[in-house]
Amino acid sequence: MIAIEGLSKTFETSGGEPHLALDGISIDIPKGQFLSILGPSGCGKSTLLYIVGGFVPASAGRIRVDGRAIAGPGPDRGPVFQEFALFPWKTVRGNVLYGLLQQGVPRDQAERRVSELLQMVHLSRYADFYPKELSGGMKQRVAIARTLAYDPAILLMDEPFGALDAHTRTKLQNELLSIWERDRKTVLFVTHSVEEAVYLSDRVMVMTPSPGRQKAVFDIDLPRPRIRAELLLNRRYQEYLIAIERLVQDGGEDEA
Amino acid sequence: MIGRALKSLILHSASLILLLGAWEAVCRAGMVSPHLLPAPSAIFLRLLVQLADPAFLIHLGQTVLRIAVGLALATAIGVGVGLAASRNRLIGRLLEPLVRVLAPIPKIALYPALILMLGFDHASKIALIVADAVFPILLATYHGARMVEPKLIWSARAAGASERQCTFTIVLPAALPSIYTGLRIALLIACVVVFLAEMISSSDGLGHLLIRAARSFRTLDMFVPLLAVSLLGLALNGLATLAGRRLLRGFAL
Amino acid sequence: MTRWLALPGVPPLLALLALLGLWHLAATFFGYNFFPTPGAVFKTLPALFGEAEAAANIAASVKRMLAGFALALAVAVPLGLMMGRSPLVAKLVKPLVATIYPVPKAALMPIIMLWLGIGDAAKIFVIFIGASLPLLQHSFGGALAVDQKLIWSAQAMGLGPVKRLFAVVLPSALPEVMIGCRVGIIMALIVMVSSEMIARQSGVGNLLFNSADMALYDTVYAMIVVIAAIGFVADVAFEFVRRRLTFWAEIHQDPLVPSA
Ligand SMILES: Nc1ncnc2c1ncn2[C@@H]1O[C@H](COP(=O)(O)OP(=O)(O)O)[C@@H](O)[C@H]1O
Ligand SMILES: [Mg+2]
Repeated sequence: MIAIEGLSKTFETSGGEPHLALDGISIDIPKGQFLSILGPSGCGKSTLLYIVGGFVPASAGRIRVDGRAIAGPGPDRGPVFQEFALFPWKTVRGNVLYGLLQQGVPRDQAERRVSELLQMVHLSRYADFYPKELSGGMKQRVAIARTLAYDPAILLMDEPFGALDAHTRTKLQNELLSIWERDRKTVLFVTHSVEEAVYLSDRVMVMTPSPGRQKAVFDIDLPRPRIRAELLLNRRYQEYLIAIERLVQDGGEDEA
Repeated sequence: MIGRALKSLILHSASLILLLGAWEAVCRAGMVSPHLLPAPSAIFLRLLVQLADPAFLIHLGQTVLRIAVGLALATAIGVGVGLAASRNRLIGRLLEPLVRVLAPIPKIALYPALILMLGFDHASKIALIVADAVFPILLATYHGARMVEPKLIWSARAAGASERQCTFTIVLPAALPSIYTGLRIALLIACVVVFLAEMISSSDGLGHLLIRAARSFRTLDMFVPLLAVSLLGLALNGLATLAGRRLLRGFAL
Repeated sequence: MTRWLALPGVPPLLALLALLGLWHLAATFFGYNFFPTPGAVFKTLPALFGEAEAAANIAASVKRMLAGFALALAVAVPLGLMMGRSPLVAKLVKPLVATIYPVPKAALMPIIMLWLGIGDAAKIFVIFIGASLPLLQHSFGGALAVDQKLIWSAQAMGLGPVKRLFAVVLPSALPEVMIGCRVGIIMALIVMVSSEMIARQSGVGNLLFNSADMALYDTVYAMIVVIAAIGFVADVAFEFVRRRLTFWAEIHQDPLVPSA
């Protein structure tokens, strides 16, 4: 479904020197797969996601979605950012409504869809709140609902739970999993938490420190639906954690 | 509640109250001639009396009309050009040096030329307001639009908005706090510059009233339009604050 | 090929040329006698400076502008710095500043002429008031942001309050103060021109209107060019000095927008 071939990205630094951020990423992601991208800070995870999203151009390589080369952003690929990136001038309802109206959904139909989505992310009572009046976890729920609203086939999630406290993070991971179980979208999920990657994913791609290259890809063969309390005692789960943790550790120092 | 607000107001304007008190006392004691400096109470009273005078209100109305039309035009031009310059590299490149050359020029110097071209009436004064007020709005819009978090635009693009749609549904609202700041500066500039233009050459408006009073040495009547235009500026500023609070509800200010 | 385009000063110069070009086209198109071409206007410039009276008027105006600005520097900067370091001073001065902020400064001209007469004193005083506000505001802001620990170490070294103000607070607040200066000098120019237009006795503002009354249209536009040039040169000069003095603090600064 997503085919990434020899993808590289070189940034021009303000000093004018080229800076290689991504080097030769090639991976195929089948439809409906939950893929995590794991790597130290600064290895190019966000850049990779932005390129797939069509927000940032690649320097070399190709990305095809369903066989077609991507040209800019599109409603088939919905981003969710660590910084939430909600529209501050719109209420929760207005934020979620935006994509639906852009897609030309009639107003009353869109309103109904928004109510459903807000119910799904447990925010029905907050429809008329402004983003600044919400906690971090609530903001990220709104952002997820805003992206789900236009029903993208692919979710691009860039450390979506990275700015949240441990308790909220666990809760949102489980909510994300139950949403994913329902419609099985293709997910590219960036994280630097080994535990989060293994817990959520079908496959984990580990990257080297800058410049980001593929180091290894793990197939996570664990039963679904995932239940954390049960996994903790699962031998294979533990082995995945240890193996990936070792691989990440001997990669050298973080850039940041 | 109201008592506390009043107390804080008095506390925070102690020096002003003291100054006004001293000014009043000096005048009452007859230490200066009222032809040189009328008492503040006399100025206020005179303003109140004038506010009931239709002739005065017509002059006030002319001034307000010029401010309103001038500001509306300046806002439309400033926001439009600022947005265009921020979203289109070519326009931005062309405009930046132009603004750098035009912004520090004292626009009031253009007034004689504007009179030659547009006449003595509304048009030349409105044009002067636009020339003066457009720059803070344009610059605020430009910088506000340039500072918009790219991820907001990306989120909209992914949702299916075109670049052009983003300009109006994302960049413009996201730049509102900055535009608003520019507008408030422009508001005050408009009040000041229209008054000066009316003083320099006009047959109506608050500024003209000051000049008319000066010609016949009515000192008290010279202070009244000055007070009126300052209060007008403050009132419009207050209105803008209220409007801003509503318009910018979602922003953390 | 496009490298020289990026040289500092080249884009504004090109903008200036483009502006003159537009002016020329518009003037030729309309052909009104009260809207001369830039060529005709620039031709009158040498004559204008050669004419003793006009040159003297321009020089006198610039002199008054600089005097008012210097006075504002001497008064408003120390006062602003004091406001930033002493809450009491700030509390006393702020309401007064807020009160004169919305008053059209040049409009005070007729009243101040009642008090100080029609000589230079009234004109310089009005310019002084106009230039003081931005200087006061920026000095205040700059002093407010000075790191308290710097003040403490200066105190520990035994510096008295006045020495502290000029040896510690002023240098730390200098980037902000310089921005105030850049706005202040343009304010001084604006007040100078508008007050002369109002008082109509002497100076460039008066010259401007007299030429208009006498239908000397080329001279009107020539005077506008002279005033614009003074503003542009003052702005560039202050930006140059500001960069030199405060190269260590890169504050982003817009082309300015002072209020009249
Ligand atoms: N706009 C940019 N300009 C220059 N360099 C950039 C830019 N964005 C990212 N980089 C560089 O690319 C590398 C990868 O960044 P990023 O994708 O944000 O890493 P990650 O998300 O893995 O922490 C870093 O070294 C970063 O400094
Ligand atoms: Mg990142």
